[in-house]
Amino acid sequence: MSIAKTRQAGGGTTSGNAAPDVAYRPRPAGVVHSSSSPNNGPEVSTTGGNGPRRRRHHAEGLEAGKRSTRTLLWILLAAAMVLYGFPFLYLLFTSFKTPIDTIAVPPTILPREWTLENYTNALGRSGVLASFINSTQTAIISTLLSLVLAVPAAYGITRYKTPSGRVFIMAALVTRMVPPVAIGIPLASMMSSVGLSDTPIALSIAHTTISLPLSIWLMSSFFEAVPKDLEEAATVDGCSRLGALWRVVIPVVSGGIAVTAIFAFLASWNEFLFALLMTAIRSQTTPVVIANFQTQFGLDWGSMTALAAVYSIPVILLTLLLQRKIVAGMTLGAVKG
Amino acid sequence: MRISDRRFALYLMTPAALFLAVFVAYPLFRLIADSFYKISPMAGGPRDFVGLDNYVRAFTSEAFMGAGWRTLAYTLMVVTLEFALGLGMALLFTTLGRKSEIWRTVFLYPLMIAPIVAGLLWKFLMIDNFGLIGTLLHQAGILQNPNQIGWLSNPDIVLFSVAVPDIWLTTSFMCLVLFAGLQNIPGDLIEAARLDGARAHTLLFRIILPLLRPVIAVALVVRGIDAARAFDTILIQTNGGPQSASETMSLLIYRTMIRFGDPGLASAMGTIYLLAMLAVAFFAVATIWRPGKDT
Repeated sequence: MSIAKTRQAGGGTTSGNAAPDVAYRPRPAGVVHSSSSPNNGPEVSTTGGNGPRRRRHHAEGLEAGKRSTRTLLWILLAAAMVLYGFPFLYLLFTSFKTPIDTIAVPPTILPREWTLENYTNALGRSGVLASFINSTQTAIISTLLSLVLAVPAAYGITRYKTPSGRVFIMAALVTRMVPPVAIGIPLASMMSSVGLSDTPIALSIAHTTISLPLSIWLMSSFFEAVPKDLEEAATVDGCSRLGALWRVVIPVVSGGIAVTAIFAFLASWNEFLFALLMTAIRSQTTPVVIANFQTQFGLDWGSMTALAAVYSIPVILLTLLLQRKIVAGMTLGAVKG
Repeated sequence: MRISDRRFALYLMTPAALFLAVFVAYPLFRLIADSFYKISPMAGGPRDFVGLDNYVRAFTSEAFMGAGWRTLAYTLMVVTLEFALGLGMALLFTTLGRKSEIWRTVFLYPLMIAPIVAGLLWKFLMIDNFGLIGTLLHQAGILQNPNQIGWLSNPDIVLFSVAVPDIWLTTSFMCLVLFAGLQNIPGDLIEAARLDGARAHTLLFRIILPLLRPVIAVALVVRGIDAARAFDTILIQTNGGPQSASETMSLLIYRTMIRFGDPGLASAMGTIYLLAMLAVAFFAVATIWRPGKDT
């Protein structure tokens, strides 16, 4: 989602790039809404009063105007949502079945009998609770590390457009293409040579190699949106450049930092390959434990679905609660420039 | 003492640059160095310099070439389907306007799910005997027998089956990015085209898609890179089987390194893989993006 940043970085080198950059710079949400707001007033009132709907597409761009078309589109959306949401619902339903019903032939969608047996089985298994602690620890360390490294770097890249900054952001792009399987083994042997093997710290460093480039791109686009006058005013008032960054700029981009933190957290929380290569017993994270259910204990689908549900639902809820910010972050990272 | 802006910027970037140098560049250097050695899998075992021997072995091995083609096919399939579905959903959300906002949010939920969980979930849905998909298709009268399609056991279709969780997980991302791009198309442009009598498909192919080109390029390249590295979902569903029919490059390198204990050969494969990814990514950026050439 973040290659866009290089396009932007490249924009400084090729002058021909400037025009499309301006043309496609996303308007801030407020601008988009205000441009259509004169027509939204009457529209809201007509739908609220169930009155006849006017053809509105003149001012609404791509929005469908005709009522019959809209009904058809809503039906289409409903079908898509059912198809798209069903797999996870089925996982939830299955987690409440009895272990025998889980693999009944033919399978049923809803549990015949609702029970928490799979949950008690899954959570009672040795190593499962410890893996939750490991996952949380690893994700938090990795998130903090990413932020501490990415925030100053992104600020340096965007505020002082130096050649070294452009080289650096290109290098970060290339980093993103490195397959984890290629560096996992050398990384693991590096960690064991400094006595860190099988620790959450080693794994969180590995996870940071994934989330750091992403964080730098995301933070760069957030810094890009901060007007330069802001810290110029601060430096005139006697702030040092570092002081201006810390006291003036950071508070302005705190929303962006939150988004970046969530992405870094999710990247670590859901990561599997590094965790598989770099952890043994002490620091195993939950994705590895979930995968081990399959081999180590035979095919215990019931416990697996329960553990998967417990592992996924908190992050789904958290991110959906913060969705406005996340959507802003994703689109900034991807569409900017 | 006041340091120059240029130097100050450099200081700000140094910690992150050092981190990437130590934990990405150095392991990569080790990988490339290892690719010229024959390495015993035992710790402290002998290392013999063999020149390009590992590369020759990689290119002459059927497994490597097969995995390369499968990775390419997998990537093209995932990216194409995701793009088609994501664009469809993005257009749907755009034409429905702001009232569909809540559903747009709900549509994002798979992005938060671990790939390993998605892989297991779809394995559970597609598995022979107690898999739900076969049963539902059977009950709907489409299949005579719930196990008629061996989603994960038929080598001919398994590459498609293992791609399904990946598509399910990240169509949302494609939709999100394309949706954001659609919001930036000026409404008066669409209006002008409609006044000129443009039909829906003309609107889509002549106006919307060309204008979306930069956004599409970003989305395709980003997803292409991710899909080419797919590992978790495939490992958990089939472990590359049956008969290596779903063994992509990441899996082959992993198995060569861990299971077959040949780090030298695995390093050579990893190096080729990385170079190929870089080449394809730069080629894609140069052709799809065409910065400064049009739009």
